[in-house]
Amino acid sequence: MKTPATREAAAAALLERCSDARLAEPGVKNYLTVRLASPKDLLAAARLLKGELGFGYLEMITAVDWLGPMKLEGLVSSRNPNPFTDKLPGPPVPPAAGAGAPYRPVLDLLWSFGNLRDGVKVFLRLEVPRDHPEVPSLAGEFAAADWQEREVYDLLGVRFAGHPNLTKILTPDFINGHPLRKDYAHEKDSYDGD
Amino acid sequence: MGIILDKAPMIARPIPGGQVLLTTADYFIDLGRKYSVWPLTFGLACCAIEMMVAYAGRFDFDRLGVIPRPSPRQADLLLIAGTVTKKMAGPIQEIYHQMPEPRFVISMGSCANCGGPYFDSYSVVKGVDRIIPVDVYIPGCPPRPEALIYGVLELQKKITRMKLAKGGGATHQQEKGSRDLAGSNA
Repeated sequence: MKTPATREAAAAALLERCSDARLAEPGVKNYLTVRLASPKDLLAAARLLKGELGFGYLEMITAVDWLGPMKLEGLVSSRNPNPFTDKLPGPPVPPAAGAGAPYRPVLDLLWSFGNLRDGVKVFLRLEVPRDHPEVPSLAGEFAAADWQEREVYDLLGVRFAGHPNLTKILTPDFINGHPLRKDYAHEKDSYDGD
Repeated sequence: MGIILDKAPMIARPIPGGQVLLTTADYFIDLGRKYSVWPLTFGLACCAIEMMVAYAGRFDFDRLGVIPRPSPRQADLLLIAGTVTKKMAGPIQEIYHQMPEPRFVISMGSCANCGGPYFDSYSVVKGVDRIIPVDVYIPGCPPRPEALIYGVLELQKKITRMKLAKGGGATHQQEKGSRDLAGSNA
């Protein structure tokens, strides 16, 4: 019987195996969160988690586009949404400098691994540049990564090198671009009308 | 049967008493159709949950003759219960054209009526009436089963006003706008 995986053991093994990886504080919902330094470490970290530490369950893959702040003209309707008052909602207040999110042109990827036997959860984070987002695919290690990576590719345009079938999964074929990117501009299609 | 119904007005109108025969036939055909509105088992989003409740014991759609059918070939009614995404728009049109005339469409809930909270979305059709004609709109987010039952009762009222003389085995659905039910009593 293997020794049960713990948060501390997983953190130590990940930090030892991946160069320049560091613990992200605070972690995602206070779970163990490791920020990788480069996409090269990802496959090694995933193999370590699955093979040696028993994290056999890839719970989800997602990403955040940190581009900002956005100009909201043309994106938000200027009509009064409330017919019971004449007062229009004011213009959106830009966040004060230094407060809130640090905007930068990166896509922040997030993987969540679960160890169902011991009830431990590990998050991996990795930043990739927006103009050339490419990370290795985990589809060879985790079958669950197949559709998850297609979803992230579809909505945010991250290219997963080595994925067997990296095509759109959610949006229809005639939608160009990746809708969850901050600079996504929607082109009118036949269903939009006037 | 459809061919007989389509030709009936042409044959019956010239003969004496044919109009009475047609009106009587309309009455009985509409009566039959009214109490056997069979919808397609088809749900798109959370409105489908309310639709399922309406079929189940407490609300019991069966007593109105509403029995879900597994195939569009056997269905009279297409219940658009939920958000119509652009990716689903094509399959919905396909299902609609697989249904035999006379066919009815009920648009259930804000999303199917006009896009609802997803009006500004890149992926949602702003109302199912942009792709297929609709008979009855039910507002709500989602509408309660009582509202759905009321919608079906309104559809039954429309069915009683349909006439063989308007073609299509009954008053057929127009490409744009509602059915031409003008000049009907009831």
